[in-house]
Amino acid sequence: MNNSKSMNSDNNVQFGMGKTGIGYVVSGGLKENLQVRLTVSPQEVQEGAFVVIESGKWLFFGLVTDLQLGATDPRFADEQSEIRLPPDMARLLHGQTLYTNLEVLPALMMERGPELSSPEYQIWRDEIEVGIRSEPSALPVKTIPAHHAPVRLAGPGDIAEIFGKEKESGNFVIGRTREQNYPVCINLEKLVQRSSGVFGATGTGKSFLTRILLAGLIHHNTASLLVFDMHNEYGFDDTASDTKEKVVGLKTRFPGQARVVGLGKRALIRKRPPDFNLEIAMSDIQPEDIELLTRELNLKETTPTTLDALVASFGRDRWFTEFKRMQINAFTEDQNGKKVPADGSVAAWANANGVNIMAAEGLHSKLNRVFRLPYIAEEPASDGIGEIVRSLEAGKHIILSFGKHESDLDYLLVTNLLSRRIRRAWEQRTNNYRGSGEDEPRPLVIVLEEAHKLLNREMAAQTTFSTIARELRKYYITLLIVDQRPSQIYDEVMSQLGTRISGWLGDDDDIQAVLSGLSGRQALRGMLARLQPKEEVLLLGWGVPMPLPIRSRRYDKQFWDELLGRTHVINNEDDIISEMGF
Amino acid sequence: MTAIEIGRLLRAGTTGFVVGCRIDQFSLPSFGDLVRVPLDRDYQIYGLIYDMHVDDDGLVRQLVTSEVIEETIIQDNRVNRNVPIEISVLSVGYEQDKRTYHLLPPRPPLSLDVIFSCNPDELCAFSKAGRFGYFRHILRARDLPVGELLAAHLQKAQRAHVQIGNPMWVNDAIQELITLLRDDYAVLMSLLSTVGDAFNE
Repeated sequence: MNNSKSMNSDNNVQFGMGKTGIGYVVSGGLKENLQVRLTVSPQEVQEGAFVVIESGKWLFFGLVTDLQLGATDPRFADEQSEIRLPPDMARLLHGQTLYTNLEVLPALMMERGPELSSPEYQIWRDEIEVGIRSEPSALPVKTIPAHHAPVRLAGPGDIAEIFGKEKESGNFVIGRTREQNYPVCINLEKLVQRSSGVFGATGTGKSFLTRILLAGLIHHNTASLLVFDMHNEYGFDDTASDTKEKVVGLKTRFPGQARVVGLGKRALIRKRPPDFNLEIAMSDIQPEDIELLTRELNLKETTPTTLDALVASFGRDRWFTEFKRMQINAFTEDQNGKKVPADGSVAAWANANGVNIMAAEGLHSKLNRVFRLPYIAEEPASDGIGEIVRSLEAGKHIILSFGKHESDLDYLLVTNLLSRRIRRAWEQRTNNYRGSGEDEPRPLVIVLEEAHKLLNREMAAQTTFSTIARELRKYYITLLIVDQRPSQIYDEVMSQLGTRISGWLGDDDDIQAVLSGLSGRQALRGMLARLQPKEEVLLLGWGVPMPLPIRSRRYDKQFWDELLGRTHVINNEDDIISEMGF
Repeated sequence: MTAIEIGRLLRAGTTGFVVGCRIDQFSLPSFGDLVRVPLDRDYQIYGLIYDMHVDDDGLVRQLVTSEVIEETIIQDNRVNRNVPIEISVLSVGYEQDKRTYHLLPPRPPLSLDVIFSCNPDELCAFSKAGRFGYFRHILRARDLPVGELLAAHLQKAQRAHVQIGNPMWVNDAIQELITLLRDDYAVLMSLLSTVGDAFNE
């Protein structure tokens, strides 16, 4: 017997334009997904593959969520007939009795019109031209393909049709399909319209992916960015923790657009001076900034009352300065020789204002950690916060590096304080735009690393960020959350995230959190857990037309060459040496 | 090519017929061969040989009891037989107006119609017409040694198809058999084992 031809190749469904099918629809529905009989080797298709089903006038786009082995009779699967029969005959038998079914999650459908060669096609096109019909576009799937509708792997054209063409404005290649390496775009304008998130367990490449996204946003000039760079990774060049290779910073590649801000006077970031330093004026610190440190500083329930009394005594601008100046355990003797709190002491102020002395002294003592922060000054040398706001308004991008101030206290206090000021400024600009026809505010994306520290269930109600995630889309501010424990982020915030890009996650709760509010969650769960630990991510949510696992771009020289062209600025010694081929 | 006559019809039905032949004709056909019965210019019936039967007569019964039988007597008995050798044929299709059908013939052959053995070209032409519809007739004949008959037929037909440069024919044929029998595990596996034996080299 000649074995040069397999049963599978006989059954392959041929499409136009030389596309080869991988199977045909055998059963299923919208609720339980579609079952597709595979006519090629199962190894040619992977979970997460993007497939196209052609049925009548419609194209259906779906995602492979499972592969299952089956047999027309279980005995064909039980018996190893290849031992009993000649190999070619066994192969023919297996071709018909043993099969693989794909489970396909249908996501989108698009009208393709009548056959290209038929006369109806021209009529259909003419109707579109004159506006009787609308130009076909991808719609959420509302019906299903017919039995035996041929299925094929999506080609580059299909991917471009759904995810956008690389050359079109606002589109940015975030990665490539896993099997065929076709580029997959995300629309950056859509990305910044709602808050978004980058998730993944530690070591899955979140920071690199975030760098790629930020580079894309800066390059396409889509929005202003404010990056809270807790670990000083994004501004200047860094060294990868695992490969020890040099990682180019955003400031290096975008020297004119990105400004690195160092927290604290004379702060150096990666041993380099930032563009300017940020010192926080004591007058900028408001009671609500302190209240959100309740857990961090272990503050008591009496804190709000004491803070209210301080504001009532000294005003919103002076309370912090005055409170800091007060002394504890300072006594003096009154005219009767009785020991009483000295003037300028916390106790004296508490007595005078009807505040419990113990509560006031307790708060003072706990705020000592804040009083001692070196970047809080009574009169800063410059208006750092104002400069940041002005830069952002002018379309620059701010990378706020925390330098050596890497504690949670620093992060909570500074991010919140700064975001509050920015929020106020953007709300003002938006109101002016809507009310008095001034310039439209420039979209602003606030990038939050370790977001669960600010957006956990306890903190979310108090910080500015949950409001931004929930409401500030209208005011042109959105968040880009970068986190490894999405389950720790408050559900209400998670559900507001438009685009979610997730690397491998091991924890069930984290997976659940990333998929919250999305259809087809069950099918996508396994996919998230089975992503390659590095460089593979799943695109999800409102900002992408349909979920798709991809291999993310590498943050390397090729990335920069493709983004900026070969002529991008070479401004350090390492780059020059590398360019010379050494 | 000269047609090879293998005998004349003894009796027939719609699903098959029996051919009587002389001893000199007996060495020509074999089990699983495709034969044809031309009935008129544009109509001939095709069948597969599934049984070859040598009946006894009174003389043979007497002779087998003899201690020594001379060679001339044996030859005389064989050549001048009173009872013909019977070859049973399963009807598997017909040709009408130069078109081959894998259906039962509309009418059977008549007594003493001449039966010819099919040459390789005829075998190829018949077996590649349509899509193996004639397998239905074989598989339905459960009283016959279906597996053996198919194995013999596939072996002969494959040889003929290889000669005309169509080595894939047997794959298609086995594939069709699997399609027809895939819901009957026991029959299919038994049949494939038998066919497998024919191709095990």
